[in-house]
Amino acid sequence: MGTVPFDRSVLKVSQVILMTGLIVGYLVSLARPLAAVALPVFAVMMLHAAAVPSSSLPRRLYLRWLKPRGLVRPRVVVEDPAPHRFATLVGGVFLAAASLVALAGLSLAAWTLGWIVVALAFLNFAFDLCVGCIMYAQLVRLGVLPLRRSAA
Amino acid sequence: MLALAPLIALAVIAAAALALRAAQSRQRAQLVGRVVEPQVGGPAILFFSGATCTVCHTAQRPALDRLAPALDGLVEVREVDVAEEPGLARRFKVMSLPTTVVVDAEGRARAVNAGFAPAPVLQRQLVEAGLLPA
Repeated sequence: MGTVPFDRSVLKVSQVILMTGLIVGYLVSLARPLAAVALPVFAVMMLHAAAVPSSSLPRRLYLRWLKPRGLVRPRVVVEDPAPHRFATLVGGVFLAAASLVALAGLSLAAWTLGWIVVALAFLNFAFDLCVGCIMYAQLVRLGVLPLRRSAA
Repeated sequence: MLALAPLIALAVIAAAALALRAAQSRQRAQLVGRVVEPQVGGPAILFFSGATCTVCHTAQRPALDRLAPALDGLVEVREVDVAEEPGLARRFKVMSLPTTVVVDAEGRARAVNAGFAPAPVLQRQLVEAGLLPA
């Protein structure tokens, strides 16, 4: 299967939600540690988006609210969505790990993982530098992942 | 202590970036001067890219297009999608995209650029390798 039309605005919406949510969660957690609940919440959002991209929360928000109101313009490119899906999965796994670490009472380590996700989301949002996509290309190159094209 | 989390994350990312840079230097040292791809068929610039590599499409390809008239048919530009040709990317130890490799007629790597390489840099490398007249 070849590349397909893919709206990158869905990714941008997802990155904004992720960055905003995690930063707010972190700031609140400085006073109220229970705000670390943001970590599993966004882990679930990311893992769900990786597993079922067509029904992810950012996609639904974009298609139902932001795009019809002209708040976010479509940015359709023809490319393989699989690397972006893999990058989303990596973000979800990082946040799931952060959640487990937070459960173990290691707040500093948990939020360090959370901030790594924030930083990588920012690089992708601001500079289109998708570290997860680079990892995906390397894993395909090394033969760890099969070359597979799938629709978003 | 929790206030240190963003700084530690930044330090981790910076350390990873430095490690990648060191690996790229090793890649250059291992490749330059060695026959990597004997069947390349003539002097060439191998341009390793990928569908999701934005810099490849917005910067590296235009730079190669600008360089094309200076190549004067003496050097071929060959674009390699790392997902389509993982074997070739593996032989050239490609770790990041874009990567450009100046290869002579024997398939010997003469210069390796990890990341965006401007047209003047590539032209200079071709001249230094004796693949283009000065």
